[in-house]
Amino acid sequence: MKKMYFGLAVLCAGVALLANTNRFAEAKYGFKVGTPEIKSISALTFGPDGVLFIGDSKSGMVFAMDTKDAAANSSAAAVEIKNIDQKIAALLGTTAENIMIQDVAVNPVSKTIYCAVQSGDGTPVLFKIMGDKIEAVNTKNVPFSSLALNNVPSEDAKDQRGNKIRVSAISDIGFADGKVLVSGLSGQQFNSTFRSIPFPFSDKQDAATLEIYHAAHGKYETLAPIKTFTTADINGKKYLVASYTCTPLVLFPMDELKPGTHVKGRTVAEMGSGNQPIDMVTVKKGNESFLMMANSARPVFKVKYKSIEAYQGSLTTPVEESFATAGVDFVSLPVTNVIQMDKLDDSRMILLQRRSNGSLDLWTSSERYL
Amino acid sequence: MAVLIFGLRVNAIFKKLNVIRVRLHVMCSLTFFVIVLLISCSTNQETAKATIVWKDRKAVSVSIANNIGRSPENIFIRLQGTSGSDFPASILGEASIENNVIMFTPLIPFTRGMHYEIFSGKESIVTFTVPKPEASEAPKILAIYPTQDTLPENLLKIYLQFSQPMQEGKSAEYVVLLKIDADTVKGAFLDLQPELWNEDRTQLTLWVDPGRIKRDLQPNKRLGAPMQKSQGYRIMISQKWKDGQGASLDQTYSKSFITVGRDSLSPMPKSWKITVPKSLTPAALLVDFEEPLDHGLLDEVLQVTNEKGKSTPGKWQFRNEEKTGLFVPTESWKSGTYDLIVDTRLEDLASNNVNRPFDRDITKSEKREKNQDFVKILFQIK
Repeated sequence: MKKMYFGLAVLCAGVALLANTNRFAEAKYGFKVGTPEIKSISALTFGPDGVLFIGDSKSGMVFAMDTKDAAANSSAAAVEIKNIDQKIAALLGTTAENIMIQDVAVNPVSKTIYCAVQSGDGTPVLFKIMGDKIEAVNTKNVPFSSLALNNVPSEDAKDQRGNKIRVSAISDIGFADGKVLVSGLSGQQFNSTFRSIPFPFSDKQDAATLEIYHAAHGKYETLAPIKTFTTADINGKKYLVASYTCTPLVLFPMDELKPGTHVKGRTVAEMGSGNQPIDMVTVKKGNESFLMMANSARPVFKVKYKSIEAYQGSLTTPVEESFATAGVDFVSLPVTNVIQMDKLDDSRMILLQRRSNGSLDLWTSSERYL
Repeated sequence: MAVLIFGLRVNAIFKKLNVIRVRLHVMCSLTFFVIVLLISCSTNQETAKATIVWKDRKAVSVSIANNIGRSPENIFIRLQGTSGSDFPASILGEASIENNVIMFTPLIPFTRGMHYEIFSGKESIVTFTVPKPEASEAPKILAIYPTQDTLPENLLKIYLQFSQPMQEGKSAEYVVLLKIDADTVKGAFLDLQPELWNEDRTQLTLWVDPGRIKRDLQPNKRLGAPMQKSQGYRIMISQKWKDGQGASLDQTYSKSFITVGRDSLSPMPKSWKITVPKSLTPAALLVDFEEPLDHGLLDEVLQVTNEKGKSTPGKWQFRNEEKTGLFVPTESWKSGTYDLIVDTRLEDLASNNVNRPFDRDITKSEKREKNQDFVKILFQIK
């Protein structure tokens, strides 16, 4: 086996030298060339060297795929595509109402935008966007590896411990510190699983499964599912910044998220009622960093990490203003109906937005939004 | 026409020799003529014919008869009426050739009810239409859980069971909660993307907005709970909801219910009533839960084990509006001691599970037992 890996590594190095494409990815991450059986694409994120992680809700799997798109691009051009749903639908031989854009993710190395689409009959298709060009990404005979999130139920009840919650939907996926982070929702239990999975995937599947509690106003303690998350450095410490289906924004120290532990998060804000968090990213302007949050029924929120740092302790006193949000201060940007959002570079984001004229547009935000 | 004339002439010569054979030849020639006529009607070029290839009710490919040596690389397919620089040169897919038949497989199946045009290079060679689903193919809703018509005001989950895989991401558009004799309850369900479907996309879990049910959270304080006790409600599911093939539901579905007070108590397996069957019979073990329990979890949280801790093979059935469980063993019972093992994930209709209620007031000092993975209930078969 070692010999084979060595051989592969040499081969990859040769190819890399000649073609300046992705180096060693295949050997390094334990990938095998084949066709991943992707049944749905619910969430996308990038790891190192152009490795794309695909969260497949339907089969309860995470796929890691080498996109061979790892040429560094330090000056990403702004992208603007109007009526992107109609354009993608035309490429698929159908109309916009028969497709859904499930997620968009920017390859942080090449700055290429990847976009997951699902047709009405459930067939998933992966696209990449470069400038105004939309291309299908080949997922046949590619280097990949995979990990099943749901253990096959065991007959012996004792073996079911620890990993009992079956994931029906992957609500978000991220990559930080060499780990794939996956938040999952269960169709049966009102609960959340948050898994931190070491990458490259190992046969052991030593995934951390966490139940997370949050205390609302320090009075009621409940379980709740995470809708979207990001990671950030706050006061020199790494945190998971999670937003819940019932709107609180909660911080968890990354080093406390260990297998089998119950971690109690610190609620730093409640982002209002009648709203759903959609996506969160961390961006920078100069030395200042911001948490940007897209919402289903609110504009995009901008929160200074400085205010989160300054806000110590849990949220204890409710705010009584009309439709108020509680906790740390934030600014609403004049951008509504954002369906998907990701970071293009340190200070810019790409946004998929339903405009007031009904058009679904992909566009790039400039630094002036920060 | 030449073929026909040629065919008759040839047959006329053979007439003297063998009458039966002559008739056969006439029929063959006529059939050939009819086919040639049909093809020339539907295409600009001879011998192009498109045939849709179906798999699981999906139009997965189209095959193109290719008698004049067209190359699959030059085959393009477009939605009819989408020629021009604003549209893609071809829909995405793969074309291959085998036995002189070109097969084009698009990235997603062809859409029902749409018209497509096949080109060889710039030349249009044939058109085809993917038929809309028949009325008999319409999907149905088989069940709406919970089945009971009296539900707690803090009901959290509703399960919709469909007969066929449905289109995803549409529940916010097609499911509404109505207060009887009043208006639609706005924002009653959580608009969750992705939605919570089972693997084959036939069962959907809907959550009544948990932020509004949870005490003291902003949504609860601002908008209040979606439902109040002693009221009548109706869940309506629009007939417009389509399945994966674009067929709409056969009718509008609804479920009416009335609400009772908040359920804040965990299910208590230790107080369930168990009716034990006799040994050497295959009769069912009857478990009365004394309250309706969650449909989605019941199927996977109960098991029966013998004295050695080995699982007893058999099937669970749930009746009486999810208030009763029947365990039918595969083989007759043997006398001895058994355990009914209940996974503490089990929830009631308000998502209180065996270990903890849905939300807990931590300022009240309640006596709490340590969380366990399973609760065991012992019973004897005599």
